[in-house]
Amino acid sequence: MTKQELQHKIDQAARVIGKTWPLYSFVTSNPLSGFEDMAFFKAIEQAGNLWGAQVLPNANVFRQAWEEGRIDALEVQKLLQEKGKKESPESSLMLLASHPMVECLNEHHELDRLTVKWLALFMDEGMAAWPMPFKEMGFYTAWRKLIVYDEDIKKHLDQPIPKLPEEALSQALERYAPEDHHKIIERHLVALPGWTGYIKYRVENNSLWNQEYPIDLLEYMAVRLWMAQSLDAPILPALLPKENHEVLELKYIWLEAWENTWQNRFFERLKGEQQPKQSEVKNRPDAQLVFCLDSRSEVLRRQLEKRGNYETFGSAGSFGILMDYCNPESGLINKASPAMIPSKYIVHEEPADNFRQEAQEYQEEERRLGAYKYFLKRMKNILPSAFGFVEGSGFYYAFFMLMRTFRPTKVNRFMLEHKMSLERSHEAHISPIDHEEEAYQEISLPEQVLLVKGAFDSCGWRTFAPLVVFTGHASHSANNPYASSLDCGACAGNPGKRNARALAKLANSVEVRAVLQKEHGIRIPQDTIFIAAEHITSTDEVQLFDVGVPESHRQILHRLKADLRAVKETMTQERLDEPRDSVGIAKNKANNWAEARPEWGLSGHAGYIIGPRSLSKSGIYNDCFLSSYDWTLDKEGSILKGIMQGPLLVCQWISNHYYFSTVDNNVFGGGSKITLNITGKHGVVQGNGSDLKMGLPLQSLMATDDKVYHYPLRLSTLIQAPRTYVDRIIKEDEKLRSLLNNGWIHLFIMDPEEENRIARYRF
Amino acid sequence: MNSKNPGSSLLFRAFYSFLWLLFFLSIGFIVAYYPNPPKWEWRGVFHINSLTLIIWATVTFFSAVVSTFASRYLVGFRYYNRFIVLSLGFTFSVSLLVFANHLLLLLLAWLGMGFFMSRLIGIDSRWGEAREAARYCQRHFSVGSLFLATGIALLSFSAHEHTLTGLIAHIDELSFPVLLASALCIIVAAAIQSAMFPFHRWLLSAMTSPTPASALMHAGFVNGAGILLTLLAPLFFKSNTMTLLIIVGGITAIVAQFAKLIQVNIKQKLGCSTTAQMAFMIMQCGLGFFNAAVVHLILHGFYKAYLFLSSGEEIKHISPIKPRRKELRKRQAVLVFGLGILGAFFFAWITGKGLSADGGIFLTLIVAITIGQAMDNVIKQQHLSLVKRVVVAPVVFFVSVGLYALLYNGSTFFMNDLPMIDHPEPLSVLQIVFGVVF
Repeated sequence: MTKQELQHKIDQAARVIGKTWPLYSFVTSNPLSGFEDMAFFKAIEQAGNLWGAQVLPNANVFRQAWEEGRIDALEVQKLLQEKGKKESPESSLMLLASHPMVECLNEHHELDRLTVKWLALFMDEGMAAWPMPFKEMGFYTAWRKLIVYDEDIKKHLDQPIPKLPEEALSQALERYAPEDHHKIIERHLVALPGWTGYIKYRVENNSLWNQEYPIDLLEYMAVRLWMAQSLDAPILPALLPKENHEVLELKYIWLEAWENTWQNRFFERLKGEQQPKQSEVKNRPDAQLVFCLDSRSEVLRRQLEKRGNYETFGSAGSFGILMDYCNPESGLINKASPAMIPSKYIVHEEPADNFRQEAQEYQEEERRLGAYKYFLKRMKNILPSAFGFVEGSGFYYAFFMLMRTFRPTKVNRFMLEHKMSLERSHEAHISPIDHEEEAYQEISLPEQVLLVKGAFDSCGWRTFAPLVVFTGHASHSANNPYASSLDCGACAGNPGKRNARALAKLANSVEVRAVLQKEHGIRIPQDTIFIAAEHITSTDEVQLFDVGVPESHRQILHRLKADLRAVKETMTQERLDEPRDSVGIAKNKANNWAEARPEWGLSGHAGYIIGPRSLSKSGIYNDCFLSSYDWTLDKEGSILKGIMQGPLLVCQWISNHYYFSTVDNNVFGGGSKITLNITGKHGVVQGNGSDLKMGLPLQSLMATDDKVYHYPLRLSTLIQAPRTYVDRIIKEDEKLRSLLNNGWIHLFIMDPEEENRIARYRF
Repeated sequence: MNSKNPGSSLLFRAFYSFLWLLFFLSIGFIVAYYPNPPKWEWRGVFHINSLTLIIWATVTFFSAVVSTFASRYLVGFRYYNRFIVLSLGFTFSVSLLVFANHLLLLLLAWLGMGFFMSRLIGIDSRWGEAREAARYCQRHFSVGSLFLATGIALLSFSAHEHTLTGLIAHIDELSFPVLLASALCIIVAAAIQSAMFPFHRWLLSAMTSPTPASALMHAGFVNGAGILLTLLAPLFFKSNTMTLLIIVGGITAIVAQFAKLIQVNIKQKLGCSTTAQMAFMIMQCGLGFFNAAVVHLILHGFYKAYLFLSSGEEIKHISPIKPRRKELRKRQAVLVFGLGILGAFFFAWITGKGLSADGGIFLTLIVAITIGQAMDNVIKQQHLSLVKRVVVAPVVFFVSVGLYALLYNGSTFFMNDLPMIDHPEPLSVLQIVFGVVF
């Protein structure tokens, strides 16, 4: 077989695995995104069988929800009857409980162990002080040169290993009928879906490490099958026994009943709101704050609005800037906008004009920190200093151990972290991503204008307050490999402040404002100032980047800061259910190295509201993503299209990631943090080595090993817009249509042209 | 439990408070007795000497820190309470090891350490790999205990003594073959416990234990070898097996330190480092510095417990392109060299060791090289100010040597009741060979 043929077969089969993202830039993606063109139930039944995974909540989870009153008995009964089942809700729940998961022996354990060993060695991103030799020649060649020294397998290697991966793979496959090839490849890809998903990531995202040390799925298949052959492991492994179809159907009934219950109560909540049609802000608000549509922003928005004359908006946390970000510390470039949409821009930091001095000090601090870190690393590694170093530094480690255990919030000043703020002295510059020159070019004025206009449009802006704050969000936690999973999902697991700063800078530009007024009729008052801010979701602190705010705005700024401080207190109380010292508790959780649950992230979300704030203003919607959208300002429905093709897709990924990580944490999630082991600086495995973990850890989703905190439900989206708008969009967009019709998301329309009646949307 | 902010249980908090209490009691005893070690003995069953108190303080400290961490870290874990029972069992086993005077009790303590540690490795009994690892480790520990039992039984029956103190007192009267056979058995037991080559595999396959249990293992359990060797120090002198300790330790130290450089996951990396450090400790014993070995096991415990507990901090996006190493300039080289020599003299002066031609010179050499290499790495950092590089760094290094010497001198002074724990071996070819290799 030619390389092209093999490559084609592999590409065909590779849709059954998702992408595993590195933990330094965690993306909550749907692990079964390759199945999105199939009906949900059929897809999960097939995938579950192939992956050997649970794909629906187990009986305990339903039992918990049932006892907490989250599933309406009538809904269960109705669905049971519809599907012709005779059981009562209680007896069907008992039936589910009588089908527990059985532990199965992994029959190709030895092959998996060896494959993991070689993959982990090759795909290391800087953990080992001495990297694997021959790495630059690619995975297959490096493996071929070194495998002959592997004690575990060398005596089984009886044939000479071909020079090229395609030769090895052809040889392994040729004994099988061509119609079996697809199955063989599929099953070996899915044997270690985390690792193969990471290969997929490295190839498709053309990561820097893959440019230097290339690996692809063809090389993986060649190595895997060659070792399988040598070890006499099955080339076409059998699948684990299928989960009983009846049981799956019953579980699906329960899932739907649960979702229906949630939706019914959600609509009740919305009805309770029915207040003045449009929240026509009578006076000009003192300040407007734009937050990420993230469900964690809702508490902050609700409580802040109560405190003063503030208007708040929800937008994707990337603020519509499809960008990569160049980290000023490492010089490395990361995706900082929705992972499924290619970036158009690159943002980098440069010293701000009036702050050259501070910028220089910041950079000096950076180099100093680098020097200390380098020193510590060297001393641990070199002989014989490693021994002397342990004795000389033992007391310091004891001191830090006690500090971090008993005074976690005081220890930061000793850690090798920046004390100065980058935002004080630097500015974010936007450049086109495919620039040809070495130096960064500023994007053109029309493009700048479009970015700013896009941000206003998507929020449904009417008036401008004197102070407008674009608030990104990020999380602080200590000793947490999953830290980036708590950052902004719309920014591909990065802090959203960079996007916010870039946007605020553009919106303040006099030229941009002039064009906005002349060509788009958007008049921004002279006294309106845009600034960026960051909401730290683990402590609920909001830091305003207010350098350069003129004297005239000091008073507003001052009041806003006071209100944010007050909100921090009430918000942490609500979020942690701690009436006393909630601020201190939150701060401790964010800094404590022993804290496995620094915050709950997006756990608990179930819904998504696309509509004006007035829809949700007086209720509690901390289980919902909130996108501001005003259909009356969207004459052609193009703004809605942007939201549905961007944020809605991101939310679908997030929601299904949380769903699958909860229903089978070992396969789709990260497993327990208690026994995780960081590999290669980019990911985690369990214990001595396992499949690379692709999703959220147990502690992000469960209150205890047995009690879920996140309720695994598919996302229920509600859009307030005329049905015709949605029709138009869905008709054109095959991807959305498929997600909707196949039941990967629920969509409801609140049609203002039909008295705001809510109806399930079907195309 | 507040499910929005799940916290540690009252039982767990009581447990670690109890451990902290024990720690302060042990420290209190040390302070009260200092500098004269206690001499308490109860009917040939229990005894308390300087080593008892030092090890009590050490093990309760590590257990207390780890438990305080675990009380929060393990919240929601199905085997939350089982962790308490097992770590308590482990802590008491180590305590018993230095408290026991009756040899059967000593063996029981050794067996108990292995039993509780392997249970901690397999604490998550629903997980096949953890069960497998626990069994694998338990097999090692059982074999180790068997060797120890054989070695002790040989001594005990030949000397007709059933207490440790009695045995040590009459060790001179035993025949050389008996001494040699039992010393070899006990060295094997020690080598298994501290994961010396070729018995290192259990330690590298024990990563199924919860992170805090690993911290306890690498800061507490593996130290058992150092304690055992120190308890029976005279045996190794009399049986001429000190050289063997140097060989076992020396080879493992070098192999493991290199093996560490190629590990791609953090826990196995730390595991190799532990094996190397324990090998160094055993080498110190072989050189006749059992006191230095005790100090090393304490300081290494601090270091390794910290690194395990903070092992979640290793995620980082770094560039595949490595920066070039800088060369040392001539003036810098003089400074590096000079400071190393100066450090060695400072060390020798405050510890009163290492200038005569015995094994101590080896330790001094390590100090000189460490300071030299540390200075070498600092001096090239142009981003640090000159004052920091030339004044602050050396001061920090010397303070560190001072701190080490403080603990070393303090404990040596206190452990004057133990026979032959500070008895440098004369310089041998072998030592010079390892010195050069290092």
